[in-house]
Amino acid sequence: MTIKKGLSYKEAIGEIEEILRQIENDEPDVDQLSEKVKRLSALVAWCRDKLHNTEEEIEKILKEIEKS
Amino acid sequence: MNERLSLSELNGSVKKVLATNFTAPVWVVGEISEITIHSNGHCYLTLIEKGDSEDRIVAQARATIWSYTFRMLRPYFETTTGQQLTDGIKVLLQVSVEFHELYGFSLNVRNIDPTYTLGDQARKRREIIQQLTDEGVITMNKELELPQVPQRIAVISSPSAAGYEDFMQQLTANSRGFHFYTCLFPAVMQGHLAEQSIVNALDRIYPYEQFFDLVVIIRGGGSQVDLSCFDNYKVAYHITQFPLPVLTGIGHEKDDSIVDLVAHTRLKTPTAVAEFILEGVANFEDHIQQLEQETLALVETQMEEKRDYLEELARVLSSLVRNQLANKRSDLIQLTWKFQQEIKLSLYGKRHHLDRKLQRLEHLTGHFFFVRNQKVLYVAKALTDSIFRGMVVQRQRLGDYLEKYSRLSDKQLAVERHRLEMAGQKATMSDPENILKKGFSITTFQGRRIEDPGFLKRGDTIKTYMAQGSMLSEVVEINQKDKNDN
Repeated sequence: MTIKKGLSYKEAIGEIEEILRQIENDEPDVDQLSEKVKRLSALVAWCRDKLHNTEEEIEKILKEIEKS
Repeated sequence: MNERLSLSELNGSVKKVLATNFTAPVWVVGEISEITIHSNGHCYLTLIEKGDSEDRIVAQARATIWSYTFRMLRPYFETTTGQQLTDGIKVLLQVSVEFHELYGFSLNVRNIDPTYTLGDQARKRREIIQQLTDEGVITMNKELELPQVPQRIAVISSPSAAGYEDFMQQLTANSRGFHFYTCLFPAVMQGHLAEQSIVNALDRIYPYEQFFDLVVIIRGGGSQVDLSCFDNYKVAYHITQFPLPVLTGIGHEKDDSIVDLVAHTRLKTPTAVAEFILEGVANFEDHIQQLEQETLALVETQMEEKRDYLEELARVLSSLVRNQLANKRSDLIQLTWKFQQEIKLSLYGKRHHLDRKLQRLEHLTGHFFFVRNQKVLYVAKALTDSIFRGMVVQRQRLGDYLEKYSRLSDKQLAVERHRLEMAGQKATMSDPENILKKGFSITTFQGRRIEDPGFLKRGDTIKTYMAQGSMLSEVVEINQKDKNDN
């Protein structure tokens, strides 16, 4: 399960909420359900990782801004 | 023109006039344009009055607050107004008018009425708020959406401020272990330089609008009173126009400043700002966790329902299948029985039919064979009878011959021997050998004796036998004897 680069928290939570809504309303079949759960878990894991871990790229940009 | 005064006489007389006319202190309104606090504790001021255009100074005077008075007036003013006694503010002072022959005109400050300054500030505030409202910008920053996760933060503060340290400490040492990206944009946070300094800091953040999630303006520590720069139109206007949400933690207990008013979210202290940000991030994480759990619970329920449904289906299906199988089996048994009956019946019929045919066939063949047999037997008997009869006749005839010949033989033999000798002589005479010896020859073609040359044609090879040998010759001419010549 790949998360596209440059995804925002807003997009991530939007997708998470959409998956929940789909499961609530559309009652997907077992295969789809498993796909959706996998996707949701991946998104949540991606968010958690981003919340807690340092992204070197961002640190680099910060240093450049501080220098300017 | 005879009367000439010395300067000291003149100054002395001015002093007398002033003293006569200003026997009691008077209340005077002026703006502090300069303020110097001497090391001995005395305070020297320059008071001015501006014209309608604000740029033109229409009056100016020096004023002094002696250290004894200043020690009491200063805290009184600052605690009441919430700001420093500093340049740029309007004050209502009780002064005694003094004139010194050497130092000239000056005002000796006896008292101060902070409510005037407060009122003036309030008026100014009202005017600024009114202006921002009229321009339709006052709520613009508030209308910006706070990001889901404010993780990249531009901080405007004095680097040395205790408030900045509090903020950073609170943010980075958070118990949930969230990571933040902060960048300090240093600014002077008090005095008349603050206005431009804060505006400059905002201008420096502006190009990185896409990078940052929000801007934080914090101060704290040091003097708690000089906050007039936060009631500033220019700073406030810049904040309203800023594309990122601005959070303030300016740290004062009084009424909100205009900067607080126009900021997206106003918090009391830098620490409170950090807590606010942390709370936002924590809420986000809790929310996604909750969504995840909710989804998993929902999925579990759905799976259980599906499982139940499947089990129910399987139950129904198996009973259906069982019934169907039972039905089919009974059908099959019935069919088999029926089939067997049919076959039995049919076989019985066929056998009966066949039996009849066989009987007839046996009957027919029996008769046929009987007739044939009779015939054969009859013929055989006739044949044996005739053979037997023939054999009896022949044996009889043979016996007769044998008897006849044995009687004839001796007489006959002598005659026959003589006849044989005669025939031998005659045969020797007509032998071709003898004929050839007499000079005749025999001509053959293809092994056949030739008597008629008509059988030959020119070029045929003929063989001629003579008494002493034979020869081969080719036919050259054929002369056939005329048949009529015969």
